[in-house]
Amino acid sequence: MKKNRNYLLFISPAFILYTIFVILPILYVFYLGFTDWAGVGEMHFVGLKNFITIFTDPRFAPEFRNALKNNLKYLLCVWFVITPFQYFIAYMFFIKIPAYKYIKFMVFLPYVISSTIVSFFAMLVFDPNIGFLNNILSTLGMKKGAWFGDVNWSFKLLILIIIWQSAGSGIMIFYSNFISTSKDVMDASRVDGCTEWQRFIYILFPLSLPSCASIISMSTIWALAIFDYPFILGGSKGGVSGSLDFVNIVFYRYTFGSGLNAKSDLGFGSSICVVMFVVMFIITYLQSRILKRFEYDT
Amino acid sequence: MDKTKKTEYQEGGRAVYSMKARVIRRSISILLILYTFITIFVTVTTLLDSFKSKGDLISNFIGLPKKFVLDNYQNVILNDNFVLFFKNSFVLTFFGTLGCILLSSMAAYGIARYEFKGKNLLTSYFLVGMMVPIQVSVLPLFLILRRLGLLNHLAGMILVYISGISMSCLVFQKFFTTLPKSLEESARMDGCPDMRIFFQIIIPISKPVLFTMALITAVGQWNDFYMPMVLLGNKKVTTLTLAIYRYLGQFAKYMGQSMAAVIITLVPIIIIYFMFSSQIVEGLTGGAVKE
Repeated sequence: MKKNRNYLLFISPAFILYTIFVILPILYVFYLGFTDWAGVGEMHFVGLKNFITIFTDPRFAPEFRNALKNNLKYLLCVWFVITPFQYFIAYMFFIKIPAYKYIKFMVFLPYVISSTIVSFFAMLVFDPNIGFLNNILSTLGMKKGAWFGDVNWSFKLLILIIIWQSAGSGIMIFYSNFISTSKDVMDASRVDGCTEWQRFIYILFPLSLPSCASIISMSTIWALAIFDYPFILGGSKGGVSGSLDFVNIVFYRYTFGSGLNAKSDLGFGSSICVVMFVVMFIITYLQSRILKRFEYDT
Repeated sequence: MDKTKKTEYQEGGRAVYSMKARVIRRSISILLILYTFITIFVTVTTLLDSFKSKGDLISNFIGLPKKFVLDNYQNVILNDNFVLFFKNSFVLTFFGTLGCILLSSMAAYGIARYEFKGKNLLTSYFLVGMMVPIQVSVLPLFLILRRLGLLNHLAGMILVYISGISMSCLVFQKFFTTLPKSLEESARMDGCPDMRIFFQIIIPISKPVLFTMALITAVGQWNDFYMPMVLLGNKKVTTLTLAIYRYLGQFAKYMGQSMAAVIITLVPIIIIYFMFSSQIVEGLTGGAVKE
């Protein structure tokens, strides 16, 4: 390595753009959250007023709490349904179940399909009037469902669609971790007459924990920021009875939609973002404290 | 479970499974194959439906078209300006990805191959973008672009895409640190400037990793919905994903068109996937695998 200032030449273009379009907006949102700016005109500093409104306003607070509750519900699904599912499938690929190459190719495929197209497919299947599912159910003489129009179904279907579309990425990360497990260790276990099950419990599982930690911390962030699917499938009002309402959709509705008092209020919208950021930070922090136990020194 | 998974090994190391284990493996495999049929079913049905005339589509939603017609494609391409939307998506993805890969590889090289103060700080600084979802900062981004007069312009969106360097920068940094130092040393002795070393020596040998990251970046940008929705409101700069979203709002009215629109958007990405699926997977796992 050479000591000179040429590194500036390499780093500064990326640094400048990144600072303007990634870092500055994050700082700016914190600033805006404490103002009542409408996007044009004067900007007043209003202290904590926006945050008090979020949690106490009789009209807004229940809506926000419902959205936050849905976010946490979804997060629980990520932890206890989606991630274990991904882990299981990855393990199935690793032990090379029949046709695993084909399955791997197909399971990952929806990952490259955009959320609007996936929502379109979801509509083909679940639309109450023309969808395949109701078509099939009525030919079988069974009762049609309202699916996304049904409070009991909408959230579950959302999870199913997300699994179908995006589980592939996590599966691939788990899988590539499994195959990067040292071959020596695996061979030694064979020589020692380990059963498949013992090999999983004593070797693969402990060795895969660090990758679990990194997947879980990334997917937690995405879970709290979920927007596309509930927005496209449930609309900007958050689906039937708010069952598909999430914090980001509330933010979108009040910032780019009509606002709390029928006027656009960017300050208020920003304060929603700030709350979301704080929630995200707290959960990620607590989670990393817990996950740290799984890390080992290498 | 203990016994069912019991295996014995022959000399070549190939597993020989007990009867029960084989049954379990096969049944899981069959279940998963059935699961993959969902993907095939929805894509093939959409493909077939896109060739049906309106009357045919309503009476015969699943199944082969009675007569192959190109009305839907004609409608979408001639009346609804899909050529423009396709061009918009392409321009965004092409320049967004090119710029992002170029800047992030340069930055990663600067960090990985030079000694300077605050190196670790800078590395973490570049990671912030991966840790904070775009939704948090989209409103200020909207305001900044408006101030710069780039709202509703492809150029503004491209700049935002180029700035999303976090993930690729991390991967490149990892890669560049593994390259032997001797690569640059002789060139440097000959008085070759650093920029030329980077473009003539480092870039060519890094092509595979640059390509995998470019693929994964391009797929993300091609499919992006949220940012174009907020930052590209004007009809002239609509992307394919946004156009499909608009069709979805009036699905019953535009059924045929939306089928054709979906196919037009889907085909390039599916072709890319069939050609490069292993590179896409590699690009995705590269940043996340802990060694």
